[in-house]
Amino acid sequence: MRTYIPVIRASFMVGLIYRFGFIFSIIGNIVYLGVAYYLWKSIYGSATTLNGLTFNETFLYVGLGSSIFILLKTYADWLIHHEIQQGTIAVYLTKPINYQLYALSTNFGAMLMNLATITIPTALMLIFVFHVKVAPGAGLFLFPISLFMAFLISFSFDFLVGLMSFYSESVWGISTTKEIIITVLSGALIPLQFFPAAIQKVLFWLPFQAIYHTPLMMITKADLGLQTFLPMLLVQLGWTIALFILSRLFYNQAIKVLRIAGG
Amino acid sequence: MSLIHIQNLNKHFKVLNRREGLGGAIRDLFSGSYRTVEAVSGISFDIEAGEIVGYIGPNGAGKSTTIKMMTGILKPTSGVIEVNGLAPYGNRIKQAQIMGVVFGQRTQLWWDLPVIESFNILKEIYKVDQKTFDKHMGMFNDLVGLNALYMQQARTLSLGQRMLCDIAASFLHNPQVVFLDEPTIGLDISVKAKIRSLIKTLNEERNTTIILTTHDLGDVEALCHRIIIIDKGKILYDGDIKKVNALFGAYRTIKVQINNFNPTTIESLNNKLTERFGKDHGILVAETEEFWSDVTIDQARTPLSDVLGLVMSSFSVNDVRIVEISMENVVQQVYDGALG
Repeated sequence: MRTYIPVIRASFMVGLIYRFGFIFSIIGNIVYLGVAYYLWKSIYGSATTLNGLTFNETFLYVGLGSSIFILLKTYADWLIHHEIQQGTIAVYLTKPINYQLYALSTNFGAMLMNLATITIPTALMLIFVFHVKVAPGAGLFLFPISLFMAFLISFSFDFLVGLMSFYSESVWGISTTKEIIITVLSGALIPLQFFPAAIQKVLFWLPFQAIYHTPLMMITKADLGLQTFLPMLLVQLGWTIALFILSRLFYNQAIKVLRIAGG
Repeated sequence: MSLIHIQNLNKHFKVLNRREGLGGAIRDLFSGSYRTVEAVSGISFDIEAGEIVGYIGPNGAGKSTTIKMMTGILKPTSGVIEVNGLAPYGNRIKQAQIMGVVFGQRTQLWWDLPVIESFNILKEIYKVDQKTFDKHMGMFNDLVGLNALYMQQARTLSLGQRMLCDIAASFLHNPQVVFLDEPTIGLDISVKAKIRSLIKTLNEERNTTIILTTHDLGDVEALCHRIIIIDKGKILYDGDIKKVNALFGAYRTIKVQINNFNPTTIESLNNKLTERFGKDHGILVAETEEFWSDVTIDQARTPLSDVLGLVMSSFSVNDVRIVEISMENVVQQVYDGALG
């Protein structure tokens, strides 16, 4: 662990150096929040609830969802792609570190940077500018745990896509496809409650909703209680472990190819 | 026991036979036609602790492939390779602790961060204690004045500064062996000299074994006692540099463009040299291009500065160039049996 803490720190510092980037991210996010506010306002019209969600809950879900979307956007797939294509990965292979954990640490640092500069300001804006209300409940305590697992799942997806660079020259198409699938099926764009019930049942078992829907439900429906959240958390934990192991296996395989076929 | 032991080492790559044009590229998608490239074939050598070995050869000779096998990045196709008694491949993390590596074309510094942060990260990665760290950092500063660079972002460093930092970083954890792959590539003479003296001092003070691959014969001349020449995956020569020195080290060609060049210039140049250095001066004078006279000397016999001084004072000179013998030329001469 001692090895990777400085890597997390360094990655956080890189974020600080490019401090102007987040100003644009925040401006973009404000615009998005404004658009989402009026869009959902008109969808609701005079209705108090749609699919079991009040306007307040939906807007909290969508607004916080967009900031978590930026939070988890650490571009690990592009970074890994770049390191493989440029051959910089050879430099890491000559050091006594595990590349998967190294990449994870780098991304964790970047995520912390996003958290401090984008997610928290957006959350404050939701509360003080748009006056959304958060109902107290068990979900609020589970949210950080759920968010951390969401980060790990999102990283594993990115890491897997990045590793495809060993086999495919361009990672653009794969990365874009991944983005679209995750955005739609995870509930990042529209709350999953708005999907048909049958699809919701299938999505529950897929890893995508574990990235956005699960942590977001902990906030928007914080009062639902443990009997609702526990199965969600268990599915999330299952995917966190499964995808982490899968990406480790894929990494070992890819490295073996590199070492036999040359870089 | 030697620090690095390599015996009958081979590395073969399977390469797809590519065809020409768009049609060819499409057919390649379904092609199962491979050819084997023998990047390294049947090399053997032993390197003792504390040696600086020059590992040289032309482009594509197999130098980098060998380095990558020694550092555990590539798996050998066959043969024995041991560093400090262990195979690098398969013991990568353990072996990485006793090795330092610099790839001249790539940096191990964190590109966006001040240089000092890279050293701090490396300190933790290699688990260097604070006392050793401070001692080494002090030494790097004494040797090349690195303190002045520590607060600069790595990407704002010049190529030479970056290389000095990279080399220092590779010695931070006191490795037993350091691999330097083209450390002076693209650098000007004064920076090269700085880098050479840094390498030499680090080797002397720590008794670190250094494997140096380079294109620049000047590096080898300045640093190594032993030289291994490789070409087309095979070792052409392995031994004392003194023998090879005769081929490239001592010879320099001074190219001078003399004003008012006329057919008697070469003759009068020859006369002046005989006058100064005696009849057996061993200096070759020839007109190669128009108005250019080539004066090829063996520095072991006649100092370059003396000859240059004589030429400059005797003639009105428009332009001067001093040329070293090239790597390709050396390899060719070795093939031709120059080393016996």
